[in-house]
Amino acid sequence: RSFTSQTDGEARVTRVLREKFPRASAIKVVDISGGCGAMYEIHIESEEFREKRPVQQHQMVNQALSEEIKSMHGLRIFTSTPKP
Amino acid sequence: FMKGSPAQPLCGFSNAVVQILRLHGVEDYRAHDVLQDPDLRQGIKNYSNWPTIPQVYLNGEFVGGCDILLQMHQNGDLVEELKKLGIRSALLDAEKDQDKK
Repeated sequence: RSFTSQTDGEARVTRVLREKFPRASAIKVVDISGGCGAMYEIHIESEEFREKRPVQQHQMVNQALSEEIKSMHGLRIFTSTPKP
Repeated sequence: FMKGSPAQPLCGFSNAVVQILRLHGVEDYRAHDVLQDPDLRQGIKNYSNWPTIPQVYLNGEFVGGCDILLQMHQNGDLVEELKKLGIRSALLDAEKDQDKK
């Protein structure tokens, strides 16, 4: 899947997401600020998002990462549900 | 609620929102530059419980940020939401013109 090693920031964010979304089937966190930890792109696929509007799904991710977000400049979130 | 103004956005994500709305022919909206007012910048984040700017509100209701607007634009939801507000998206007319090009 990934052919480069993760930054510490990416690993930490991924870990938090794994804890807060135990039913997630796929989580991908990419530092898009060139390794500075300033901006992340988050892709997360989970059964927990089913039946929820995108803004609600994103809000769940925001809440999960509320601590980490404080030190970020921005983040991009892409949520999805697994194919039934 | 954005960084900069529609005429001169000061952030790529704020610019993305302006451009998406422009594609739909929506240019007559109130834009608030949070960079001009630190209280507004934090206040709007507290209000919506959303940590980032830009923030899009339709008819007083918080819709989301740039990613959500982009998703709504790509899946057709934005055209529907605008229709509910009595706004006819310019893209509906653009589709009819496509054959002429």
